[in-house]
Amino acid sequence: MFPSFRLAMSWLHTWFGLVLGYLLIVIFFFGSLSVFDREFDRWAIPDTRFAAQPLPSYDRMLAPIFARMTPEADELEAARGRVKAPLPETLKPLNWSAYTTHRDPVVGLYAEYAVPGNPDDPEDHVHGHVTVDPRNGRLLRDDQLKIGSEFFYPMHIGLHITWKNLGYWIVGLAALVMLAALVSGVVIHRHLFREFFTFRPQKHIQRSTLDLHNLTGVVALPFHFFFALTGLTIFAAMYLPVSESMLKPQATAAAMAEAQQKHLPYAAAGVPAPLASVDAMVSEAKRRWAAHDMAGEVGYLYISHPGDRNSYVTIYRGGSDRVALLGQAIHFEGTTGRVLYEEPQPSAVAKVNEFLTGLHLQQFEHWALRWFYLFGGLTGCACIATGFLFFVEKRKRKHAAQGHAGARWADAMAVTTVTGMLVAALAILVANRLLPEDLPLRGDWEKRTFWAAWLLSFAHAAWRCRPMRQGLPSPAWFEQCCIVATLAFAAVALNGVTTGDHLVKTLFIERYWPVASVDLALLAVGLLAAGVARRLRLRRSVPEVHVRTANAEQAHAS
Amino acid sequence: MTAMSRPLQIASRIAASLVGGWVFVWGLVMLGIGALLRGGVPYEDAQTAMYLLAFLVYLAAFCWTYAAASAWRVWLVLLGGGALMTAVGSWLAGPAAA
Amino acid sequence: MRPESLMILAALLVSLAGAVWLAASLDAHWQQLRGREAAASPRQVALLRGLGATAWLFALLLCCRADHASMAVLVWIMSISAASCAAAFLLAWRPRAVAWLLAWA
Repeated sequence: MFPSFRLAMSWLHTWFGLVLGYLLIVIFFFGSLSVFDREFDRWAIPDTRFAAQPLPSYDRMLAPIFARMTPEADELEAARGRVKAPLPETLKPLNWSAYTTHRDPVVGLYAEYAVPGNPDDPEDHVHGHVTVDPRNGRLLRDDQLKIGSEFFYPMHIGLHITWKNLGYWIVGLAALVMLAALVSGVVIHRHLFREFFTFRPQKHIQRSTLDLHNLTGVVALPFHFFFALTGLTIFAAMYLPVSESMLKPQATAAAMAEAQQKHLPYAAAGVPAPLASVDAMVSEAKRRWAAHDMAGEVGYLYISHPGDRNSYVTIYRGGSDRVALLGQAIHFEGTTGRVLYEEPQPSAVAKVNEFLTGLHLQQFEHWALRWFYLFGGLTGCACIATGFLFFVEKRKRKHAAQGHAGARWADAMAVTTVTGMLVAALAILVANRLLPEDLPLRGDWEKRTFWAAWLLSFAHAAWRCRPMRQGLPSPAWFEQCCIVATLAFAAVALNGVTTGDHLVKTLFIERYWPVASVDLALLAVGLLAAGVARRLRLRRSVPEVHVRTANAEQAHAS
Repeated sequence: MTAMSRPLQIASRIAASLVGGWVFVWGLVMLGIGALLRGGVPYEDAQTAMYLLAFLVYLAAFCWTYAAASAWRVWLVLLGGGALMTAVGSWLAGPAAA
Repeated sequence: MRPESLMILAALLVSLAGAVWLAASLDAHWQQLRGREAAASPRQVALLRGLGATAWLFALLLCCRADHASMAVLVWIMSISAASCAAAFLLAWRPRAVAWLLAWA
């Protein structure tokens, strides 16, 4: 179809880059924000602005909370539609779990409840979830949105499209295309090493945009490649579900054999029996870790079939000092508290996989590396954004002359996904501070603000791209930069006014980095947007000269 | 096949790169797990190893789809190869032995 | 500042120096740093590349002192990326800020 390999790769890079680029920049951007998801959570929910806490006592604090937990109302409703007979009053819990990291002031508790009588799925279940303040056992309101971990992060992994996991598939497709764009980009970049450090801002806009695109792509190439690849391997079982289909017999046999080897009961006995002291199990786990020279805190606590004779408790060490997410598990017999099995060091393959997964999900405690990750993610966004800009700049005069709308729409989409996305992210933060504290379903209103703001920026960009008919730049970029700056400064001001945790307090009086760093980042965004707006306005005020110089420079085409 | 219009050619390549690529990689994973199971590797490890390899192969197949001279060849290799590997892998994995 | 943080900061600065040296071994950037004089001699180019590579290797050693190996490698790779990016911007906008690194050449 193409006369040469290079041309094929060039076509692939341009068109797949353009079409999937809009998705990829969203995924990269919210991935970058997700590095600091817990920090955004604390900014959004002032009640949680205290120091990170280890997992509290299960026996004294968590056990009564688990006992009182109930399934999510909306999941219960949906489950009622799937079964023939009416559901019992209380559903039997299949498992309880608690997860915490070194950055969590509050603890997330999760439960799965068996849904009996589903003819299509004997393992049908629903979920329950609460958030607990570990200092006093208080439950947090469940309609407060954790803007970082419950909004920005799910946006990154699935674009909030939950129907049949479609969002995960779309993100997976984008990741595959990202890998192809990187490979094809390297193929078509003639002088990769010679131009490794090249950025020529003084040249005409097409050249300097391409320079920046190449720079941001090449300089962080290992980062971009590995994040796209690990994003795919993390969800590999979803994309290639061999164990659920063709190899299900072999997979099930292996799982049961493994459970037997570890003396772990696979299913419930149906005989009620109380759970032994989990605190004692936690102490034993910590003692064993310390004995292996790996003293640490509990990262994940899992109780299978609580209240049943076949219950067991698995305790994982938090992996904050290593790349892998969680340390090796220790399994305890639920009714007696005796150690059933201590997981050995994982196999070489498993270690590689744990490393790659942990690399992507970065729950480790290493602040320099996390900020480096933010740099990598934003560099990726810059690479994609400059890709759009280059596409538009290259074609807009030609399209304007020919009466095509292509470049205009590409530009409108670019505005929507670059400045528009920023506007939406800032709008949800501003809404978080402006909405009344006791508004019911407050979290839902915040989400609506996000989507509305984004839709409005698209409408604005589409409306304002008309000058591109004459090949002139669209004023949408300048105008949205102004909006970004305004919203960013407003968010910082509102935080200070509504919570009293202004920067002077969080930096000097009662230092609290999670909130201070979000405020500082917001200020940086505001200043950057204001600076860009200023440059855009200066450039637009001399359009004649600019066009002539650009044409002259293009004659000297590089 | 110069008789096919360009948009149709492109659509065919895109479909081949995505769907054909997926079928090919499915077959690779099946073949790999089957072979490793025969070699005595535990199921979890076999699956993990193949998953780690899968997307690199998918990437290669994806790019090759656009570089290849003939779309028919691409479809044959990806779908045919994928089906063949799936069959062989399935046979190698055998019935669920203890 | 914790000693590990200092070491990583040092690694970053050393990486930046290495990036500037490697860049200077390329014609276009040598011109940016030295003005429009003659190109660097082959000996100077070899020296610059050697210096740059050594600096980057030294940065890796510093990272390994700060963390255990698997974490250190990630920190180093990102440090090189960030340093190269910073070097590109400095060379484009403020070459004089780093021109002193070539004072010996």
